[in-house]
Amino acid sequence: MTEEKKPEERKKRRTATEAASNIGPMVKTMIREVLEAKETKKPIAYSFICCCYDEIIRAMDIVPHWVENYAGICGAKRDAQRFLERAEAENFSRSLCTYALCGLGFDAWREELGEMPPESPWGGQVKPDVMLGSGQMLCDPRNKWFQAAQHYMPDVPVYDVGLPWPAYESDYDYRQVQDYYVKYIVKELKGLVKFLEKHTGKKMDWERLSELVALTDKTWDLIWETYELRRAVPSPMGTGDAMNTMVPIVFMMGTQQAYDFFQDLNKELKQKIANKEGEVPDEKYRLLWGGGLPAWFALSDFNYFNSKGAVFPVETTYRMIEATYNFDIDLSQISDPLEHIAWRWVKFWTYWHDRARKRPGSHPDVERLIKYIEDYKIDGIVMHEAFSCRSWHPGLIWQLNLLKKVYRDIPSLVLESDIVDISSYNEADTRTRIDAFIDTLEAVKR
Amino acid sequence: MPEKVALKGLAAADKYYQDYGLRARELKKQGKKVIGYLCAFTPAEIITAAGFIPFRIKGDVDEPITKADTEMETIICPLVRSCFDMALKGNYEFLDGLVVPHACDSICRTYDIWKYTLNLPYSHFINMPHGTDDASLGFYREVLDTFRTSLGKFAGKEISDQALAGAIKLHNQNRAKVKELYQLRKSSPPLISGEELTKVLIAAMSLPVEESIEMLGDVIAEVKGRGGLSARKQARIMVIGAQVDDIAFIKLIEDSGAWVVADDLCPGAREFLALVDVSADPLAGLAERYLRKVKCGRTYREMKGNYQEYLEDRFGHMGRMIDDFGVDGVVLYIYKYCDPYGFEVPQIKSYIEAKGTPVLYLEDEYSMSTIGRLRTRIQAFLELLGSK
Ligand code: SF4
Ligand code: SF4
Repeated sequence: MTEEKKPEERKKRRTATEAASNIGPMVKTMIREVLEAKETKKPIAYSFICCCYDEIIRAMDIVPHWVENYAGICGAKRDAQRFLERAEAENFSRSLCTYALCGLGFDAWREELGEMPPESPWGGQVKPDVMLGSGQMLCDPRNKWFQAAQHYMPDVPVYDVGLPWPAYESDYDYRQVQDYYVKYIVKELKGLVKFLEKHTGKKMDWERLSELVALTDKTWDLIWETYELRRAVPSPMGTGDAMNTMVPIVFMMGTQQAYDFFQDLNKELKQKIANKEGEVPDEKYRLLWGGGLPAWFALSDFNYFNSKGAVFPVETTYRMIEATYNFDIDLSQISDPLEHIAWRWVKFWTYWHDRARKRPGSHPDVERLIKYIEDYKIDGIVMHEAFSCRSWHPGLIWQLNLLKKVYRDIPSLVLESDIVDISSYNEADTRTRIDAFIDTLEAVKR
Repeated sequence: MPEKVALKGLAAADKYYQDYGLRARELKKQGKKVIGYLCAFTPAEIITAAGFIPFRIKGDVDEPITKADTEMETIICPLVRSCFDMALKGNYEFLDGLVVPHACDSICRTYDIWKYTLNLPYSHFINMPHGTDDASLGFYREVLDTFRTSLGKFAGKEISDQALAGAIKLHNQNRAKVKELYQLRKSSPPLISGEELTKVLIAAMSLPVEESIEMLGDVIAEVKGRGGLSARKQARIMVIGAQVDDIAFIKLIEDSGAWVVADDLCPGAREFLALVDVSADPLAGLAERYLRKVKCGRTYREMKGNYQEYLEDRFGHMGRMIDDFGVDGVVLYIYKYCDPYGFEVPQIKSYIEAKGTPVLYLEDEYSMSTIGRLRTRIQAFLELLGSK
C-alpha cells in the first residue's frame, strides 16, 4: 500500500539571493506555528491564496493554514504521490487540481487514522476549525475543495466569499460595473467577519484591520518597486528565486514580516546591482516566465536554464500585486477597511484593461506580457502548462498566438507537467526541450 | 413562421439531432440572428426577448478533436474542447454572437479563447456568482441587467420588461412540456426510451423556443399514442453527470439491457425542471431560478443545518427522482477535467448508496472510443443489479 512508499530524494535548487534562501526556514516555522496553534487551541482556518481575506484573519488572530502551500511542500519534497493515490482511492479523478487531491487525500487519511499519516512532511496538516473558500474566476477548487473536504470533516464549517471581478469586454468598460462588484464583495467580506466571529469566538478588531490594510498597501508598493529592480542588466534575481519570495506575498500579506522581508530583498538587490552582480555570471538570454504555476518538484530546472546563461528577470506568476499608487483611485481615501480591500481587488484584476483598449485586437493578459517584454528587455518567453489546474493554464497558447498577432513574434517554449504530480514529469525530455529552445534563442540573436 | 422540415414529433427530433443546427441555418438564411451559447446557465430567455434565436453549442463524440488544440490546451474539459473544435471546423458558422456564462473553469477560463478566435459580431460573458446567499443573488441580478443592456445594444433596441416576461412565459411552457415528457418515463416499461428522450432534448436546444414547444407537444402525443415499449429490460437506470449532449452513452446503457428512465443531466432534468417565477421584476425571477433553483455542482450552496441536511439540500432532488421514477441503479458519469462534478463524486456516491441504491462511477473523455470501453463495466453493473 501507499503508506510504505518512501519519499524520493529531492534536488535542492540553488538560490541567487540571500533573501530567497531564507524562505525555506520561514515556511517551516509557519507550518510549525499552525501545529502549535492546534495545541494551544487557537482557531485555525484552512485558507487559499488570492482570496482577499489575509488582513481579516490576521486582525482576528486566526491562524491560517495555507492548503495550497502544504500540497506544494509535499510536491517539492517529492512526497505527494501517496496522498494523490489516497484521493484517487476515494474516487476523486486524478485529473483534478493536484493541490486539492493532495490535501483531500491527506485529510481523508488523517481523519481515518485519527492522527497524522506516517512521516507527514513537516509535521503534517492539522484539522482546522473553519475552512475559507471563495467563489471567483480564479478556480473552481476554491469553492469545491472544502466542500469535498467536509466529506471527511462534516463538523468543520465552510464560508465561501464571493469575489468576482469584471471580465474584459469589447462593448463596455469595467468602470460601468465596478460599483456593484465592490458593493457585493463588501457584503461578502462582512459575512465572512460575522462567520468567523460566530465560529471562532474571536472578535474583529476594526482598528487593527485598518492598520493591516494600510500595511498591505505599503507592502504591495514595496514589492512592486523591489521586483522592478530586476530590470537591471545583468538581472540580480530570477523567477526561480521568485518562486520562493512568493511566500511573503501570498502567505504572509498583512504582516510586518512580509514588509520587512521585502525591505531586505530590496537592499540586497540594490547592492547586487551596484556590484553588477547578476544571477548568472555571463547573462546571455533574458526570459519572461509568462504564465503557469511551477513544477514544485523540478525547481532545479531554473538552475538548468541558468547554466545556459538564461535568466528570468520577470514572471507573471505570483506577481499578485501592483503599485497601488498606479491605480486610478486613491485607496488611502477609502477609510472603510472592507471597502478598501474590495476596491484594491477590483483594481488589481482590471489593471491592464486600459492598455488593452489602446491596441486594436489586444487583451489585458497580452498587454502585460508586452509591457514586461519591453521593460525587462526580454528575448524569449517560457510558460508551464500544469495539467491539473484549469485556472492559470487555459489560454497560454492563445496568449502566445495573440501576442504574435498584435505585437511581434518572439521565441517561446511551453513546458508541460504539473504542480504536484511528479508522474507527469520527464526530466530528460524537459531538458532536451530547453536545449532546443536555447538554440532557437541563439539563432535569433545571431 | 418560415418553412421548416415537414417531419413531426420523434422524426423531427431525429432529424434536428442528426443535422444539429439545421433549423438555425434555415432561419439565418431568412434573416434571423442566432446567438450561440454554452451551458445551461445562459439565461436563454434574455436572448429570446431580444428577438434572437438562442442556440446551444454542442460537441460531437464521433469527431476527433483536431483543430481546437492549436488554440486551446488539452487540459480543458473534453466536452468544451469538442464544442470549440466543432465551432472552429465551421459547424456553427451561422452564429452572430456568443454568450458564455461563468459555469466552471473549463468554460469561464476559455471565454477569451472563444471570443478572440471566433471573432463574432457579438460576445458576452455572464459573470454568475458561485454563492446563493442574498448578496450573491442581488449581484447576479445586476450581472443579468448588464447582459440585458449589452444585448439590447447589439439588437438596436432596449429589451423591455414586457419582452422579458413574454420570453419567460415561453421558456416556462417549454419546460412544462419537458416535465410532461418525463412523466412518460415513469411506467414500466417506460413509454419513451432514454435514447429517444435525449435526442428530443438535444434537438430542442437548437430550436427557437416556440418551435421547441411545438415539437415537444407532438412528441408527447405520438409517444402516448403508440403504447409502451416492448423490449424486456432488466433494470431502470438514472444517469447523473454534467452536460451529456450526445446519445452515445445513453444508448450504450440501453443496448446493454437497461432502460434509462431518469437523469440529473443537462440537457435533462437539471436544466428543464425548474421554472422561472413570474414576478414583477423579471430579472429577479431569472436570477432566482438560475442561481437557486437549478442545482448544479458549479453553484456553491451555503450550509444550513447539519451536514446531513446539507447533503439533502444539495442532492435531495436526486434521491427524490430515484423514488419517483423507480430507479434501480445510478450511473455517475463524469468527464475527465470536470472540476464541479469531479469534486462531488464521493459525496454523491455515498449519499445515494446510503439510500440503498447502487452507484456505478465512470470517468470518461467525451469520445466514441472511450465510451465504448465502458461497456464491460456497465454490463457488470447491470448484472449486479439483476442479481439483487
Ligand atoms: S488555482 Fe489551480 S492550482 Fe490553485 S487551487 Fe485552483 S486549480 Fe488548484
Ligand atoms: S462537463 Fe464539467 S468541466 Fe465540462 S463544461 Fe460541464 S461543468 Fe464544465
